[in-house]
Amino acid sequence: MASQNPSQSPSQSQSPVDTGSQRLDKDTRETLVSVARHGLLLGWSFVVLFPLYWLASMSLKPPGQANALPPDWLFLPTVYNYIRLAQDGAFLAAFANSVVMVSASVVLVLLIGVPAAYVLSRYDIPMERDVLVWILSSRMLPPIAVVIPFFVIFRELNLFDSRIGMVFMYVSINLSLVVWVMKAFFDGIPETLEEAARVDGATRFQGFRKVVLPAAKPGIFSVAIISFIFAWIELLFGLVLTNFKAVPVTLFVYSFIGSRSIEWGMLAAASMAMILPVVIFLIAVNKYLAAGLSFGVVIKE
Amino acid sequence: MASITLDDVTKEFGEGGDAVVAVDDVSLDIEDGEFVVFVGPSGSGKSTLMRMVAGLETQTDGDVSIGDTVVNQLGPRARDIAMVFQNYALYPNMTVEENMSFGLKMSTDLSADEIERTVTETAEMMGIESLLDNTPGELSGGQQQRVALGRAIVRDPNVFLMDEPLSNLDAKLRTTMRTEINRLQSDLGVTTLYVTHDQTEAMTMGDRLVVLNYGELQQVGTPLECFYRPANRFVAGFIGSPSMNFFEGEVTDGTLVADGFEYDLSERMQANVGDRTAVTLGARPEDYTLSDEPTDNGFEVVVDVVEPMGSVSYVYVRSVAASHDETFVVEVDGQQPISEGERLHAHVAATDVHLFDTQSGETIHQRELTDDAENALSKPLENASAGAD
Repeated sequence: MASQNPSQSPSQSQSPVDTGSQRLDKDTRETLVSVARHGLLLGWSFVVLFPLYWLASMSLKPPGQANALPPDWLFLPTVYNYIRLAQDGAFLAAFANSVVMVSASVVLVLLIGVPAAYVLSRYDIPMERDVLVWILSSRMLPPIAVVIPFFVIFRELNLFDSRIGMVFMYVSINLSLVVWVMKAFFDGIPETLEEAARVDGATRFQGFRKVVLPAAKPGIFSVAIISFIFAWIELLFGLVLTNFKAVPVTLFVYSFIGSRSIEWGMLAAASMAMILPVVIFLIAVNKYLAAGLSFGVVIKE
Repeated sequence: MASITLDDVTKEFGEGGDAVVAVDDVSLDIEDGEFVVFVGPSGSGKSTLMRMVAGLETQTDGDVSIGDTVVNQLGPRARDIAMVFQNYALYPNMTVEENMSFGLKMSTDLSADEIERTVTETAEMMGIESLLDNTPGELSGGQQQRVALGRAIVRDPNVFLMDEPLSNLDAKLRTTMRTEINRLQSDLGVTTLYVTHDQTEAMTMGDRLVVLNYGELQQVGTPLECFYRPANRFVAGFIGSPSMNFFEGEVTDGTLVADGFEYDLSERMQANVGDRTAVTLGARPEDYTLSDEPTDNGFEVVVDVVEPMGSVSYVYVRSVAASHDETFVVEVDGQQPISEGERLHAHVAATDVHLFDTQSGETIHQRELTDDAENALSKPLENASAGAD
């Protein structure tokens, strides 16, 4: 039809057929939009995934070649760095340290934070708003501002360079997050659910445990994984508050950056090893995350 | 089965000067097997009253008894009640079967086999046996409503409490479920409290209505009693749809003078009015007639709006003599031709008039009824009385 150049024929543009063809027809437009959308997403995936690829490839290169510029795009991968890492007792100790300390802190922060959030959500707490802001205030100062007080307190309480101390520190980092997110989550769960359970013969606690907690699972797994990541990647406090015994894996990775040279291959391999537990955890609780990260809005009245 | 007694029950929310009285000194006897509907506008305290029977709220003052037991100190779990919530409150992470067996697991010593059998039986009765393995999220609103009812029935409780259970359903489903709940209640004969703000539910479901406003008991009676023998102006206006029309006026020499018309009171009315002067006349829209010819005690009106409903039309008219332009409603036969702007004569028979004390709102004169209608007033609905035996 008259799709070649409609602007040249003003008389024709009066007819309905012609005005329709001035725009691209519907199918073509949808295809274009879809191509553009996929192109954009592909581009973004590249931006996100490229550093990861860089890290992985670096960890698989022999020493000396890791930092070559321009990089060797094609190279014979070697697990040399990983073997060295696996044989390094200090690394294994730090890794185990981190796994134990961070896991313990996540369990503990959930045990404290979830019930606290439930109480703040359901009961009439005097000055509830102030309590909430007070809990959040623990995260208002930049960590660097509180690290010295932490150091002094830890030394006084004999917590310096102890795993228990590090667990407390991780809990203090994540508690406000857990309380705030879970309170919002509990607010989204209708109170009639517990009332129904209580009328059905459950005690208040049974109602919480058997009805509310399962309904809050997505939220709990979300805050668990976020807490895990925040504690897992913590560096500053580990640097100041530990010495030999309770060194977290982040600090060990950091130690590859020496004063004279940087062991790029080892650094990359250790970083890859660090990513692993987070990925495993993510895959394990993946099905709850979609609902959890929208913070409760999925559960409808 | 159990009766329920409320004795001077008061509930205040908040403390000291900020206290809001939600339920004000309510006393009520509900018989074993009775279906009682709590009705009132929002904030009338009807839900709060029910939640106190459930034990979900604790009364500030007064006693609640279920059967012969004063349950003031007992939690909901010890009261042997089952409740249906407006939003159904189905446990989202459990299947329908788990939802229905939860109460039995929590409150009885039944074995797993017995629980399963009871649940299956009830599910069959409710027609939801094919849904037992689904989770609530997979069900439609109507199905969720059935499951919520089934979850209450399976417990075989002393008392059913239903808090606006039908208000989330569409109109057609609501009608079906209304009859179904009526039938279930009369089959099972369990004492039932039902909270609603819906006219139709209030009129058709209960043996008795409890009309509440601002937390105060307005009237307790059969639906027809509340309709024909309202205790006060509030009940008269609240029960019946469209609402009763009210005209405030002064009584002088046996004539009520209102803004827009005068009404000669009958001898019986005059006797009831006594020496009061500030009197409100009330008459239901269906008791008015609109005609072309002037009538005794009638007055001229002009038609403002006509709402044809099919079998009837609601005609909004305004008295020609009135100093304001407020309209009142007249219900006429749907086939009576009436057009907007038309001038007609409105008339209400002396037998159909209610009179209220304008200050206190108390009824001072009731409309007249035929003997049969009079006798029917105090009878509970037939289907419900069968279940109460």
